[in-house]
Amino acid sequence: MKAIRVQQTGGPEVMELAEIPTPQPKPNEALVKVSVAGVNSIDGRFRDGSLRTPLPFTPGQEGAGVVTAVGAQAKTVKVGDRVAWSGALGSYAEYVTATTDSLVLVPATLSDQQAAAAMMQGLTAHYLANDAHKLKAGETALVHAAAGGVGLLLVQMARMIGARVIGTASNQEKASLALEAGADEVIVFTQQDFEAEVKRLTGGKGVDVVYDGVGKATFEKNLNVMRRRGMLVLYGMSSGPVPPVDPAKLSEKGSLYMARTTLAHFTATREELLARTSALFAMIAEGKLKLRIAKTYALAEAAQAHRDMEARKIAGKILLIL
Amino acid sequence: MKAILVKQPGGPEAMELVELPVSQPKANEAVVKLTASGVNFIDVYVREGRYKALPPFVLGQEGAGVVNAVGADVNSVKNGDRVAWTGVMGSYAEYAAVPADRLVPIPEGVTDPQAAAVMLQGMTAHYLSHDTYPLKRGETVLVHAAAGGVGLLLVQMAHNIGARVIATVSTDEKARLARAAGADEVILYTQSDFEAETKRLADGKGVNVVYDSVGKTTFEKGLNVLRPRGMMVLFGGSSGAVPPFDLIALSQKGSLYVTRPTLANYIATREELLARSGAVFSMMAAGKLKLRIEHTYPLAEAQQAHRDLEGRKTTGKLLLIP
Repeated sequence: MKAIRVQQTGGPEVMELAEIPTPQPKPNEALVKVSVAGVNSIDGRFRDGSLRTPLPFTPGQEGAGVVTAVGAQAKTVKVGDRVAWSGALGSYAEYVTATTDSLVLVPATLSDQQAAAAMMQGLTAHYLANDAHKLKAGETALVHAAAGGVGLLLVQMARMIGARVIGTASNQEKASLALEAGADEVIVFTQQDFEAEVKRLTGGKGVDVVYDGVGKATFEKNLNVMRRRGMLVLYGMSSGPVPPVDPAKLSEKGSLYMARTTLAHFTATREELLARTSALFAMIAEGKLKLRIAKTYALAEAAQAHRDMEARKIAGKILLIL
Repeated sequence: MKAILVKQPGGPEAMELVELPVSQPKANEAVVKLTASGVNFIDVYVREGRYKALPPFVLGQEGAGVVNAVGADVNSVKNGDRVAWTGVMGSYAEYAAVPADRLVPIPEGVTDPQAAAVMLQGMTAHYLSHDTYPLKRGETVLVHAAAGGVGLLLVQMAHNIGARVIATVSTDEKARLARAAGADEVILYTQSDFEAETKRLADGKGVNVVYDSVGKTTFEKGLNVLRPRGMMVLFGGSSGAVPPFDLIALSQKGSLYVTRPTLANYIATREELLARSGAVFSMMAAGKLKLRIEHTYPLAEAQQAHRDLEGRKTTGKLLLIP
C-alpha cells in the first residue's frame, strides 16, 4: 500500500511517499481502508521529533474510511462499516490499523470528509465546552486563537450553550471568521492588549473561563482576566510550554482554578467516546455546527500540506484525500 | 478596654495585655462587645510578621459577641444583636470595631463560643466541600490533616454528603478522632506511605478530590492519587509553600485540576457570607456538625494559647474569653 513515511525527524520534506506492506489487524484491531486523513498540528510535532515515536513511522492520527478486516476479538465494528477515528498513528496511508474501541460509526448524514475533519478538533471543542468546564448560559468565555481549528468550533458550541464569547485572533481576516462563528467580541491581539480589552469588555469583572491552546505567550495575562474563582483550561501550548507555576498566584488572583487537559482523558471509555462523537455528529448533521474544510491535498502532497499548515496561512481544516 | 497588642512581631511574648480606649465605630462599622475570640494559626503568622500587618496592632481575626454601638450608615445590625465574624483584625480584645457587612447573626441554638469557634474553620470546610469542589454522594475524597481544625469539620461534612472519606493523620489518637468524625479509612502517614495506601484503598482508580492544607510535603504525591480529571484543592501550607510546579504534570497525570482557594473569595459578598454562615450554623444547631472546643483561656493568657497551638498538641479549637 501507499503510505507517507518518516525515516528521520525534521521539516516537511522528511515525509516521503513510499510503498510498504499493508498492516494486519491484531485481535483487538480492525484494518480500515482510509478515504480521508485529517492533518493536525500534532502531526507536525511527531514529524519534527518534539513528540516521540519509534522510527520509521507513518504520521497522521485521524481519519475516516471503511473497515476491510477485523481481528478475532473485534466486536464493535464489522467489515464494510464506515468509521472515523482519532489517536491512531499511521493514518497518512491507504490502510491503517486501529483498536476497534477507538473506531466510531459514521452516520449516513455525514460525509467521510466531515467525519474526518471533526474528530480531533470537534471532540476537543466538545469536551472543553461541556466537561473541562461545564459552560452555562450567561457565562462569559475567553477563547484564544478563536479562528483556529478548535477555536472556530469552540466558539460555535459556546454560543449554542448561550455563553457570551470573547475571542482573540491575530489579524482582521481571522477576526471576521471568529465573528461569523458567533463570537460576540473579537480582540485582534496584535493591535490591542487582550488583558486590557477583556477587562473593559467585562466591566472589570473578568471572564468565567479562559480556553487557551496558546500557552506561554498568554498565560500570565490570563490570570488577570478571570473573575474570582474563574477557570483556566489550558489544552495546548502552541507558543511554547508555560514555565512552572507558583500555586500562590492562584490564590492571589482570586482563588482561581487551572487545568491542563488532553482529549484522551475525555474519551477514555468507549461509552464516553460514543456519547461525545454522537453529540458532535448530530450538531454537524443538523447544520448547527459548521466545519470549515479549507483545503484538501492528495496523499503524495502531505509535505506541502504541512508547509501550508505551519505557515499559518490556512484558516480551517486541512485534509488528505486518498 | 483590655486588649492584646503586638508592638513588634515575634514569638508569643510579643503579645502584651494592655489598656486601650474602647473602639468607636466608623460610619459603616459596629462595635461588638466580645464574649469569645477564636485562636487560629493565621494569628500566629500575623504575630510573627509572616503575614503583614502594621504594628502596633490588636491580634485576632474571629469572634462573637453583642453589638454595643453602630455607625451612622449601619442598617444590617442593631444594638443588642448577637453576632459573629471572621477576617477582620482586632478580636483579641474586649471590644472590636467591625464593618457591619461582615457581621452575621448568631441563631438560637448556637452559643457565642460555638459561633466564634466555627466561623473561620467551619466556613472553610463548607466552601471546600460545597463550592470549590461540590462533593457528591459516592465520590471518594482524601483529606490531609484530618484531625486538624478544618480537617475534622471537613470530614464530617464530606461524610454527611455521602462521600467516602480517606483521611491522613500523624498519630493513633488523631486517627481515633478522624474516625469518630466519619472518616471511612485513616492512614497514619508516619507509618505508611499515603500515596501507596490511598491507591490501594481507592482500588487503583484514585480519588476524585484531594483537600490539602499541608502543602510542600504532600502536594506531589497528592497529584499521583487523583483519578483522571480529579481536583487538587490546596488550601494551606502548614509544611511550607509548594514550589512552582510544571503544568505538564497535570496533563500527564490525567487532565488534573489545581486550585488554591482562600476563604475571602468564598464570602466576598454579603449574600454569600450570610448563606454560608447560615448553613454552618444550621448544621451545628441540628447536631450534624460537632465542634471540639478543647480549651478556653482568659484574654490575659493569649501567650499560653499560642504556645499550646504552636506545640501542635491540641486537636480542638482554642478560644480566648475576654
